[in-house]
Amino acid sequence: MEVIYGLLPGMLLLGLVGVGIFFWAVRSGQYDDMDGAANRILMDDEPIVDEKSEDTSTNSD
Amino acid sequence: MSEICYHCSLPVVEAGIFSRSIAGVEREFCCFACQTVCQTIYDSGLQSFYQKTPEGETLSPPAEIPAELASYDSDEVQADYVDKLGEQRTIHLLIEGIHCAACVWLIEHSLAKIEGVISADVNLTTKRLRLVWNNQYIALSAILQSLAKVGYGAVPFDPDTAEGALARRHRGLLYRMAFAGFAMMNLMWIAIALYSGADQGEFRNWFQWIGFIIATPTLLYSGYPFLRNAVLGLRRRYLTMDLPIAIGALATYSYSTYITIANPANGEVYFDTVVNFLFVILVGRYLEAISKKQALSATRRLLELQPKLATVISDTGNKIVPVRSVLIGDLVLVKPGEKIPVDGLIVEGKSAVDESMLTGESIPIFKKLNDKVVAGSINGEGAFTVRAEQVLRNTALAKIVALMEDAQASKAPIQSLTDKIVPWFVLITLSLATITFFYWNQFDFEIALLAATSVLIITCPCAFGLATPMSVAVATGVGANRGILIKQGAALEALSQVTHIVFDKTGTLTEGKLRVVNIELFTDVSEGDLLLLAASVEQHSEHSIAVAIQQEATDKQLTTLPATNFISSPGEGINATIDGKHVVVGTQAWMLKHEVKNEQRYQTRIDELEQQGVSCVFIAIDGELSGLLGLVDELRADARNVITQLQAQNVAITVLSGDREAVVVAVTTDLGDIFRHAEVMPKDKADTIRYLQAQGDIVAMVGDGVNDAPALIQADVGIALASGTDVSIESADIVLSHNELHQVVQARRLAHKTLRTIKQNIVLSISYNIVMVPLAMMALVSPIVAALTMPVSSLLVIANAARIRRLFER
Repeated sequence: MEVIYGLLPGMLLLGLVGVGIFFWAVRSGQYDDMDGAANRILMDDEPIVDEKSEDTSTNSD
Repeated sequence: MSEICYHCSLPVVEAGIFSRSIAGVEREFCCFACQTVCQTIYDSGLQSFYQKTPEGETLSPPAEIPAELASYDSDEVQADYVDKLGEQRTIHLLIEGIHCAACVWLIEHSLAKIEGVISADVNLTTKRLRLVWNNQYIALSAILQSLAKVGYGAVPFDPDTAEGALARRHRGLLYRMAFAGFAMMNLMWIAIALYSGADQGEFRNWFQWIGFIIATPTLLYSGYPFLRNAVLGLRRRYLTMDLPIAIGALATYSYSTYITIANPANGEVYFDTVVNFLFVILVGRYLEAISKKQALSATRRLLELQPKLATVISDTGNKIVPVRSVLIGDLVLVKPGEKIPVDGLIVEGKSAVDESMLTGESIPIFKKLNDKVVAGSINGEGAFTVRAEQVLRNTALAKIVALMEDAQASKAPIQSLTDKIVPWFVLITLSLATITFFYWNQFDFEIALLAATSVLIITCPCAFGLATPMSVAVATGVGANRGILIKQGAALEALSQVTHIVFDKTGTLTEGKLRVVNIELFTDVSEGDLLLLAASVEQHSEHSIAVAIQQEATDKQLTTLPATNFISSPGEGINATIDGKHVVVGTQAWMLKHEVKNEQRYQTRIDELEQQGVSCVFIAIDGELSGLLGLVDELRADARNVITQLQAQNVAITVLSGDREAVVVAVTTDLGDIFRHAEVMPKDKADTIRYLQAQGDIVAMVGDGVNDAPALIQADVGIALASGTDVSIESADIVLSHNELHQVVQARRLAHKTLRTIKQNIVLSISYNIVMVPLAMMALVSPIVAALTMPVSSLLVIANAARIRRLFER
C-alpha cells in the first residue's frame, strides 16, 4: 500500500496538467463561441464546387 | 412560381420583377440585392449554402455595399484596429446579417478563396469575424467588398476597448470555476477512501494532508471573490450572501486543518465539503455572468456601429481620417447615404437628413445652408459640407449618452426579492451557529465546533444562493430565444409587478413608416389616375413619402407609367412629364414655386387634415392643383391587441408623444380607453413617469428614441425596441430584438413565471433549512450528513428553475 505515497502526488500532477490544458483552451478563445463550433463540424462534408477552376481546396495559405 | 425570395425567404411582393435564371433554374427574388448576392454565391461555387440554411429560416436582407470602403485601406485608419501595421495584419470586424451557421460557412469559405486572406474565423455568438490577411497581396477594402457581395456588411472595431474589462472578469470566473471543479473531482477520491475505512489505518494522516494540499489553493484562488466580497461587505456594514459563504468555507477549512495538523485519534476532515460548496456556488455565479454578457454584447454591438471615419476637406484635397482626429473648425464632407460624423453647421450643399436615431422622427428633415446637423444622423440623397463645431465626446449624442450614464450610475438598483431577504438570512444563520456553539461548548469543545459548523454548512446557502441566479439564467436564455434580451435580472421581478405601462407613440406604437390613408380630389381626375401619376413621378425616388406612394400604387395593382424630364428638389418635391402632361408632386411650398393655381377654398380642408396628423402631398397636373394624398404614420398591426391584453391584466396604459394633441388622438383612437399625453418635451417624459410613480404606480416605459432615454431610466422597467436608437437601448433594462409589441406581453408572462419560480425556490430552500437546522443545532447531524443533503436541495432548485423553459412550449 505504500505505493499511494507516489500515486496520489502523481494523480495531482496529472490533474494539474488537465487544468493547465483547460486554461490554455479558454485563453485561446475556444469557449468564446459555443454555438458556431457545434454547427461548423456538420458543414464541411462536401467539397466546394468551383465551376471556373478545378481548385477544390477550402484553404488558402 | 415560388412566392418567397429564393435568397432570403421573405415574401416576394410581385412576381417577375426580380427573377433571374440561376444555374438553369428560374428563381424569384424580393429585391435586386438578394438577386445579386445569390448570383455571386453561385458564381463562386458556394451554392450549397442554400442547403445548409435551416428550413423556414428567413435571412436578413443583404447589407448595402458601402461607397467608401477604400478609406479603410489607409494605415492611419487601420492603426486603430489592427494589431500591428506589418505585412500580415489581424483585424476584428463586426458583421451585419449573420444569423445561422450557414452564414458562418458562407463567409469563411468565400473569404478562404481570396488570395491573400490567411485566416477568417467567424464567431456565431458574438457575430464577429477575426480576419488575418497579407496586406501585400490584397487590400482590406477588397476583402470587405467581397463580403458585401455575398450580403454581409462589416465594420472594424477594437475588441479591447469594447469589452475588455467585462471579458476578463468573465474569463477569470471561468478559470476559478474550472479549478474548483478539478479540486472537487480529486478530493472526491480522497473523501471516498477516508469514508470507506482509510481513516482507521496508517494512511489516515497522509490522506488528510493531500486533502489539505488540494483544498488550500482552491479556497484561496476559487474562493477569493467570496472572501473579498465578504470583507468589502463587512466594511460597508452590509450583510451579503458572500459572508456566510466565506464564514462557512473558512470555518470548515480551519476545523479540518486543525484535525490534520493536531491529528487527534478521532475527528474528521471536511476539505471535500469546502471545495464542493465553492464549486456549486461558482457555477451559479458563472450562469449569472453568462446571461448578463449575452444581453450586454448585443447592445454594445449597436453602439459600435457608429461612424468612425470622416472626409476632411483641406487645401491639399479631401482626406479620409478617423473621427477622433477631426478638429473643431474642420470642413467635413458628408456624402449621400453616410452617417454624419460630427456636429456642425452646413456651409455648402443641402440634403434631407434622417435624425430618427436622435428624435424618433421618421420623416427626414430638409437641411440647407447654415442649418445644424448632428453626429449619428443619416444623410439622405444630397451631399454637403459641414464645419465641425463639436466632435466625439462633445457631440449632442455623446452628451446625451454621458448624461444617461450618470443617471444610471445614480439610479438605485432594483431591489430583488433575494436582496431583501439575504441580510436577515445571514444574520439568523450566524446567530444560530453562535448559539449552538456556546450551548454545546458547556459540555464539549469538539462537539460544539462540529455542531456549529454543521449549522453553517446546512444553512450555507447553496440552494438559497442558486434560487435567483438559476431562475434568472434560465429565463434570460428563454427570453433571448424569443428575442427578449434581459439586461438585468431584477428587471424581470419589477416587470411582473408593473401596474402602468407607458408607450412612446412614434416608432413604438406606430411603425415609423408612412402610409397613404386618403386621396382628395380637387378636379375631375379619378382617384386611380391621381395615384398612378404621383407614383409614376416618384418611381425612382427613395424618399419615405415616395416609397409610401409607390407602395399604395402597388397595393392597388397599378403599373407605373414611363416618365421623362425629372426635376427634383430634396425636401420639396419632384416634377416629370408623363404622357405629355406636366405633373408636379410635392409640398405646398413646391406648388407655390411652380405657380400652381392653389385655390384658397381648399386651405381649410388642408388645415383640417394636418390637424389630424396627416401629412399632405400635393399633385398638380398641367399647372392646376388636382388633388392631394394624405399620409400618416399608422399604428403597428399588433398594437390594439397588445393594449387590450395588457388592460385585461389590469395594467393602465398611457401614450406619450411630442406631437400635437389632435394628432395623438387621431392616431390612437382605435386603442380605446387609454391615457394620452401630447406635446410632451423629452425632459418632461421622465417627469410624467415620476408623476405616475408618485401616485404609487410601478411604471414600465416602452420607447425607442433618444428622447425616451431619460424616461426609460426613470421608469421601474425600461423596455426598448432594438430598431430604436443605440442610446435608448443602452438605457433600457429589457430590449425587444424583433421589434414586435406583443413581446411586451410575452416578457410579462416570462417575468411572472420567473418570479413565481424564484419564490418557489426560496420556499424550497427555506423549508429544507427549517427541517435540517434544528437537527444540526441538536448536534444530531454530522457535517458529512449535512454535506450530503446539501446537493439534494441544490438539485431541487436547479430542476425547478429549468421548468421555466417550458413556458412558451405549451
